[in-house]
Amino acid sequence: MLLLAIDTATPFVSVALGDAGAVRCEVRLGTGRRHAEQLAPAIRYLCGECGVGLDQLAAVAVGTGPGLFTGLRVGVTTAKVMAQALRIPVVGIPSLDLVAWPLRSSRRMVVAVLDARRREVFHARYRPVPGGLQRDGDYTVGSPADLVGDLEAAGEDVLLAGDGVAAHAEAFARLEHAEHAGAEFAAPSAAALVELATRRVELEEFEPPWELAPMYLRASDAEIDWERVRAGAR
Amino acid sequence: MTAGAAREVVVTSRSPADTRAAGRAVGALLEPGDVVVLDGQLGAGKTVFAKGVADGLGVEETVVSPTFTLAREYLGRVRLVHVDVYRLDRVQEFLDLGLEDLAGDDAVTLVEWGEAVAAELPVEHLEVRLALPPPASDGDGAFEPDEERELTVRFQGPRWLRRAEAVRETLTGAV
Repeated sequence: MLLLAIDTATPFVSVALGDAGAVRCEVRLGTGRRHAEQLAPAIRYLCGECGVGLDQLAAVAVGTGPGLFTGLRVGVTTAKVMAQALRIPVVGIPSLDLVAWPLRSSRRMVVAVLDARRREVFHARYRPVPGGLQRDGDYTVGSPADLVGDLEAAGEDVLLAGDGVAAHAEAFARLEHAEHAGAEFAAPSAAALVELATRRVELEEFEPPWELAPMYLRASDAEIDWERVRAGAR
Repeated sequence: MTAGAAREVVVTSRSPADTRAAGRAVGALLEPGDVVVLDGQLGAGKTVFAKGVADGLGVEETVVSPTFTLAREYLGRVRLVHVDVYRLDRVQEFLDLGLEDLAGDDAVTLVEWGEAVAAELPVEHLEVRLALPPPASDGDGAFEPDEERELTVRFQGPRWLRRAEAVRETLTGAV
């Protein structure tokens, strides 16, 4: 079964072709914030070099964030459109899961941390369990200092992964009992996306394309109080 | 000098040309990643100040109000992203602009009516407030178009506080 995997939650544009749950070919562009320009050409190049026609794809998978706002919109929209046009299933996997999954053999708690800009990070914690990882708590957005404080209070050995760790190195340096998994684990893993999404497709756990949405975590329903703002401007 | 005074500079602009010169002075100091927030009622001169900032950044294209397009981009010494939130009703619509991707660390961002979305602005920013003078109180009823504006610049965040002296010098020299 051939699966196209897309992740655009970080400055990277990552596309991979999965075959029976493993990566056959992978393209990763790290030029930063050019998702809209690069994603479609990257898919065309990947499929072309692999000699795979779009009609051979059995499913499309996408990292749903949290992550870069524009990147997520480009990636999720592309995945949805391809699924609908090709009449194949689409599977969304949270990008923090894709950061944590390669570290599932760790005996420690894994904390996936992606840079959220504006001095914040997206994060989630995972506990190793037989056969994989189990998320412990919600996907969260907050300051690195708050996350460090919570982890300090928990006092457990942790393994940190994701680009948010290096981006906020000062905050995380305070943390004892913590190891940083390093640059290799900074971005959501294409191999993890292929593996986790293939399982979901095999179990027929996919969602209708129109229901798939990025996880922004920063959604705000608040109305702008223009009366107050205009009064303040006087 | 009190702490409050260190955090802000107040200058008086006597004309749109003054306001533009103040903008130009600020623009000349701006670096990639900087965010400038402009507030002040309609007609206070926010767009005039923005034009000055663009001058200071070496933008040659004419800067127009982005009210209806929400965001406009200009190429200068540093890329300038000019945003106006005046047409927005919900905070979500501001988030939907995806400003951190649109502008990012390699551009200067100018936000008009930024106070409306204050909670979503980065901690580090330069706040510029333009205020019209209070109505004349001498009671003779004569109407005189008053072009005077009080221009308050506040330094938000430690990085801007460190640059306060340079901004103060250039502003008081310009207006």
